[in-house]
Amino acid sequence: MFGKGLAKGLGITFRHMFDKKITEFYPEDMPTLPPRTRSSLALNTPKCISCGMCSSACPNKVITLTTDKNESNKKFLTSYHMDLTRCLFCGLCTEACPTKALYTTTEFENAVYFREDMQWDMMQRYRDKVASGEIKEEVKPETKQEEAKDNG
Amino acid sequence: MPQYGSGLFVSIAHLIRGLFGGTTVTADVVMTVINSLIIWALIALAALSLILLERKVAGWMQLRTGPNRLGPRGWFQTVADAMKLLGKEDIFPAAADKWVFGLAPMFVIGLSVMVMAVIPYGKGMVPVDLNVGIFYLLAVSALTTIPFFMAGWGSNNKFALLGGMRAVAQMISYEIPLVFSLLGVVMITQTFKMSAIVNAQSHVWFILLQPLGFVVYTIAATAETNRAPFDLVEGESELTAGAFTEYTGMRWALFFLGEYANLFIVSAVAATVFLGGWQGPFLPGWIWFAIKVLFMVFLFLWFRWTFPRLRVDQLMHFGWKVLLPLSVANILLTGVGIYIYQLIYPAIGG
Repeated sequence: MFGKGLAKGLGITFRHMFDKKITEFYPEDMPTLPPRTRSSLALNTPKCISCGMCSSACPNKVITLTTDKNESNKKFLTSYHMDLTRCLFCGLCTEACPTKALYTTTEFENAVYFREDMQWDMMQRYRDKVASGEIKEEVKPETKQEEAKDNG
Repeated sequence: MPQYGSGLFVSIAHLIRGLFGGTTVTADVVMTVINSLIIWALIALAALSLILLERKVAGWMQLRTGPNRLGPRGWFQTVADAMKLLGKEDIFPAAADKWVFGLAPMFVIGLSVMVMAVIPYGKGMVPVDLNVGIFYLLAVSALTTIPFFMAGWGSNNKFALLGGMRAVAQMISYEIPLVFSLLGVVMITQTFKMSAIVNAQSHVWFILLQPLGFVVYTIAATAETNRAPFDLVEGESELTAGAFTEYTGMRWALFFLGEYANLFIVSAVAATVFLGGWQGPFLPGWIWFAIKVLFMVFLFLWFRWTFPRLRVDQLMHFGWKVLLPLSVANILLTGVGIYIYQLIYPAIGG
């Protein structure tokens, strides 16, 4: 019948009026992103073995890290810097990380007012996270052994 | 002289008239001033609430919530928008025809006020109850074409001129079926007077006697108010904003105000002529009128957010080859119906 499609269209829009709305009220209700979202990077400093595989895996040379050796000839991190202006959040660095010290997070509010704020000091960010209670500081197994030695 | 009814507003009007001596010239002048102020306020209120309603309905139909930031559930959004428009710079394009460009938005809103003066808002609530009410209404609302063309021509801009030309072509083409669709009702009631048309519907609404007329009127009114699916006049993908392209700030807001005032007017006319006006049980007349107008407004919003825009040739084809014959057929059917009715009940009709 002529005009059937018009009535059908009107019916669809009318039904949609009472459907559940899909609008997200973003600042009030934070969206729950899928767990594998690669929207931010974080470093779990104690787990890092300073191998530098993340910086070699990075296609854009985002990561620069400096290391030093302690008295037992073991490498440890002295600085871990990421230049977020070049990062494309591909996650190759986290895949390269042998100890999963570097990982992606679902935090997405990375917009900043100043270009300098996109230079991330990952060790400082880790300390801030521990200080704010967002993550618990992991105690290195070696440290435990050393403590045990000292005690025993 | 307005008729005195039992409504709240009529009593207030009676009271104010009483203060100035009932039927004196002073009382008439005071009442005219008050009525015109009320109409201005009604236009502002209608535009603010209809814009919000439009955005809300559009949102709901698209699974969104619409404006939701300012005030409870975003109800004050249009107030904020109006404030913003008031504060914006009033730009005249260098090449514009200053007088034509500047006057066009005022003409739009002025014509809306003139039309709203003859609408019966409730029992005895017609600001000016003209004998030629519906005729005057159609004549004045047909003039709305001219400010659109003034805006298009005065802007000295190709998009605006094209929009203005389209406005003229579309509004004149659809004016004819619009007028013819209302003619059936006038034939039945034998009067142009708006209040008499409402009174004639105390037993049966004319939508039941004139279903074809109502359909033709609704379609033609959608085109007449330049709303989707007939919004070619300001089709943003083709003409940026049609005749409004060069307008800014308050002048643009006046066009917007006029647009929503026109939406209110065509809904009010549909409610008056086809849906029984203020007639209805239990509730006061003006509430019934408001309900019916809101129903018609919702119908127009519903159309806008459902149907895609027509092409220009389809628009002309539809107007002249479908709507016009239908409205003429409606007049013929009404005439035959009245003739048969008069054979059965010779006392009724003219």
